[in-house]
Amino acid sequence: MAFLEITGLSKSFKDHKVINDLSIGIEKGEFLAVFGPSGCGKTVFLRLIAGMMPADSGEIDIDGQSVVDANPEDRDIGMAFQNYALYPHMTAFDNIASPLRSRHVTAAEVDARVKETARMLRIDHVLDHLPKALSQGQKQRTALARSLVGRPSVVLLDDPLRNVDAKIRYEMRFELPRVLRRYESTVIYVTQDYKEAMALGDRVAVLVDGAFGQAAAPHEIYDSPSTIRIARLFGDPPINLLPVRPITGAAGTEMSVAGSTVRLPADRAALSGRECMFGIRSENVVVSLEPNNGIPMTLDAITPVNNRLVMLLGGNEGTELFASCPQGGPMDRLRGRHNAWITLDLAHAHFFDNGNGARI
Amino acid sequence: MSTLYLDNVSKVYDGAPDRAVDSLSMHIEDGEIVALLGSSGCGKTTSLRMVAGLESITDGEIRVGNRVVNALRPAQRNVAMAFETYALYPPLRVRENIAFGLLRDRVPSGEIEKRVKQIAAMLEITDLLDRYPPSISGGAQQRVSLARALIRNAAVHLLDEPMSQLEPQLRALLRARIKDYIIAHKMTTVVVTHDQTEAIALADRIAVMEKGLLQQFATPHDLQDRPANLFVASFIGEPPMNLFPAVVQDGGIAVLNDRQEVAFHMSVAVSGASGKLGDGKRIVVGVRPHRIGLAPGERAEGTNLVGEVTSNHWLGDQCQVGFQVRGCHVIAVGGRDVHAPMGSQVPVAISGEAVRIFDAESGVAIDQGPEPAASLVA
Amino acid sequence: MNGKSVLRAVALTLIGLFFLFPLFWVVLMSFMTNADILRNPPSPFFTPTLHNYTALVSGNLGTNVGTQKIDYMLNLFNSTVLSGFSVILSLILGVPAAYAFARYKFRLGEDMAFTLLSFRFAPPLLVLLPLLMYFQSIGLYDTYFGLVWVYQLITLPLVLWIVRGYFEDVSEDIELAYRLDGHSWLRTFFRISIPLARPGIAAAALLSFIFAWNNFIFALILGSSGVQPVTVGALAFVTASGIEYGQIAAALVFSIMPTLVLAVFTQRYLVEGLSLGAIKG
Repeated sequence: MAFLEITGLSKSFKDHKVINDLSIGIEKGEFLAVFGPSGCGKTVFLRLIAGMMPADSGEIDIDGQSVVDANPEDRDIGMAFQNYALYPHMTAFDNIASPLRSRHVTAAEVDARVKETARMLRIDHVLDHLPKALSQGQKQRTALARSLVGRPSVVLLDDPLRNVDAKIRYEMRFELPRVLRRYESTVIYVTQDYKEAMALGDRVAVLVDGAFGQAAAPHEIYDSPSTIRIARLFGDPPINLLPVRPITGAAGTEMSVAGSTVRLPADRAALSGRECMFGIRSENVVVSLEPNNGIPMTLDAITPVNNRLVMLLGGNEGTELFASCPQGGPMDRLRGRHNAWITLDLAHAHFFDNGNGARI
Repeated sequence: MSTLYLDNVSKVYDGAPDRAVDSLSMHIEDGEIVALLGSSGCGKTTSLRMVAGLESITDGEIRVGNRVVNALRPAQRNVAMAFETYALYPPLRVRENIAFGLLRDRVPSGEIEKRVKQIAAMLEITDLLDRYPPSISGGAQQRVSLARALIRNAAVHLLDEPMSQLEPQLRALLRARIKDYIIAHKMTTVVVTHDQTEAIALADRIAVMEKGLLQQFATPHDLQDRPANLFVASFIGEPPMNLFPAVVQDGGIAVLNDRQEVAFHMSVAVSGASGKLGDGKRIVVGVRPHRIGLAPGERAEGTNLVGEVTSNHWLGDQCQVGFQVRGCHVIAVGGRDVHAPMGSQVPVAISGEAVRIFDAESGVAIDQGPEPAASLVA
Repeated sequence: MNGKSVLRAVALTLIGLFFLFPLFWVVLMSFMTNADILRNPPSPFFTPTLHNYTALVSGNLGTNVGTQKIDYMLNLFNSTVLSGFSVILSLILGVPAAYAFARYKFRLGEDMAFTLLSFRFAPPLLVLLPLLMYFQSIGLYDTYFGLVWVYQLITLPLVLWIVRGYFEDVSEDIELAYRLDGHSWLRTFFRISIPLARPGIAAAALLSFIFAWNNFIFALILGSSGVQPVTVGALAFVTASGIEYGQIAAALVFSIMPTLVLAVFTQRYLVEGLSLGAIKG
């Protein structure tokens, strides 16, 4: 059994099954990023683990002990909330000390441990402030300190960087893993930003329809998404998806994209005759302004994004495709529409079943 | 479809000590897309509203084409605007909302029908054409408001935070389509936004504002590569530009860490001849994460360092590596195949061309590159 | 200072004078002798005397035909006891109940809460006569216990409705955070929920005290000389032989004092903001 084992967890609100038979095992010291579109039930999931509300059914075991029926105070869990949830009538020091004070720790040890954690999160100079006198970033760090100081078995982080300024968010994104690693915590981190999930998680668990559609390392989620929905959730611009029907003939396996024929590698011969969804990410679509034997399309718009160029291409049959490439090439100074020829890097092609969306 | 000139435009509100907009001057070409970018309260929305005629102009002149519009009412200025709060007409259907401006311009109804369909398809609101504004989602209302502004052939189109409520999935697609549409119709457009990725994606040039003052008005490329001051340098870019406190030492640069100790030296020759970079001068060194070469193979030109990897964010199409050199934290961006496990030692190279130098006190850029080696000649 | 603010200041002064003047005059009167009060034309200049207050405290009030024994001090004491205990009982019962209404959505919850509020709407007279008969048969007539119990009809709904609103404003996340820190539900209730709802509890306590203090009809019907509060006791001042006005004024001042003091004391809690910025937004 894993360190944190969740089996068959379910919770409904008024006939709507928000969490539906969800199961996952999390190893000790693992950082699991939970990601899903807004409204998918991420917050309910965390609160079920914290014990804020009873589950309808299922098991939650931490280090072999069942906690699914235990009170929040008996579960040995630390949690940092999206809106901080600091105690407004206590100083930052007392906020952070709270988990220690419930456990009969000596005053000297409380003092030492609070100061140590505060120093790690760089808020040791504002410990005597009330929450209303702290900046957003400091409030978030205080909330984090409070969740870590008791060295709980499991740490739950509910989108802690959501309400923080963009600049500080970046800073903390790089600092957070460092801090958590020092505490060797087992972490569940919920976020609405797929980049954050991929950046921080040892594994990313995607919450769709009340359960984890896929829980795997970032590489695997990005390169081998198990369903169309999951493929669409990761990547900006979103993955290109085109309905196709490959046919295997004398010339090999071929399919039609934007009115042109594209030859597929031999290992895709099994797809012949099957209506399916072809997926390819924008970085695997290569655009050339010189005619070649690629698919002719029009380059409609170029939108620079950080250090890359994102291009929107239009083709026959109303097909729209995204392509992207690093800046610093011939495309840099283009404006307006141009003719273009595109080639697809089929080593990174995805195929999904049209019916259930599952990966082929 | 016309030029837009702002000459020393200022706005002071009654009783307020500071200027909301302070002597803003911008010349926007015909058909150009310009973004006004800044955090809330910087004056960007006030400026837009002055162009529209919704705010009085305290000082200065605004010209649309050849006409000075200071004294003209909004309806007389021939500007189309999409509001941050959408401001749709509740008793009218979506299609009637969109067509409203065209009816006023007396466009024939067949033509109106066609254009409404076209723009609705572009913004993915075709299914909503016969609904009423209160019954559709915030993101959809925003698109209707955009459609209403973009469908007209006005002299200037003003868009106030046009995509803030859009679902993330739709954002890339609609951004590209809207840009295509605006360029195809040669519309002069001013977009107000606080989101620098949106500004960089859409605009030909971006005006960065802070506290009512224009910080820099340049192409996205120049803003990223040659920021005029520390504010612009830290505002633009994701991840943000690496900024290190440093000091000029023996004709070179010594970069300091958190504890004010020297972390490393940069092999960038600085000449004190101009007086700006004398020995002991406190500066801030800026390097874009994208311009730091990770694991460059053979010894590359520029500053070569070995850093300890403290974090590695793999994002599918790129990876963002955080490393530290003797207490100085740096972020670099590399391709998806860069191998830099946590705790490992990774060689990095920073070419002299990528280094930008700012005055530590004023924040103004001393050296904006791309002249090699930052050597300043008197 | 421009014309607008001068005009505003004048208007406010006039309005203030209009409302406060009677009160001010009563206070003045309480320090005047009967002769000064009856003087025609009335004059604000006089030699103040404490005679009215001493008479009130001793219980021997002067009338135009001699003295009359009225134990006003006992009435004051009764009012304080009745209102005070009513409020305390309402808080003990009402605050946890308000918490339950705020946090736990149980069936009929809204209906129950509204029913409790409706007690304030009903005319007391409807209830009083049957209640009088019950009280007499179970021996609660003219007792502190009985009146405090009946006063709950006035004070408990107030506490419930005001405090429930304040509990609803306390973020559940803060309570959950405290429990995850290892504290029990009860400790969370006392250390977090109640302190954060303090302004509401103070407001409810003050309002309940005022309403209980001002109540006339319950004490009149269900009580007698043993538990007479000042509202009923004041009836004694209306006698054929006319008590001196100065002493009536002093009695009035005494009857206002406790609620005034309480209001000033609780104001500190009333102006405390909720959450104090520990929750974003």
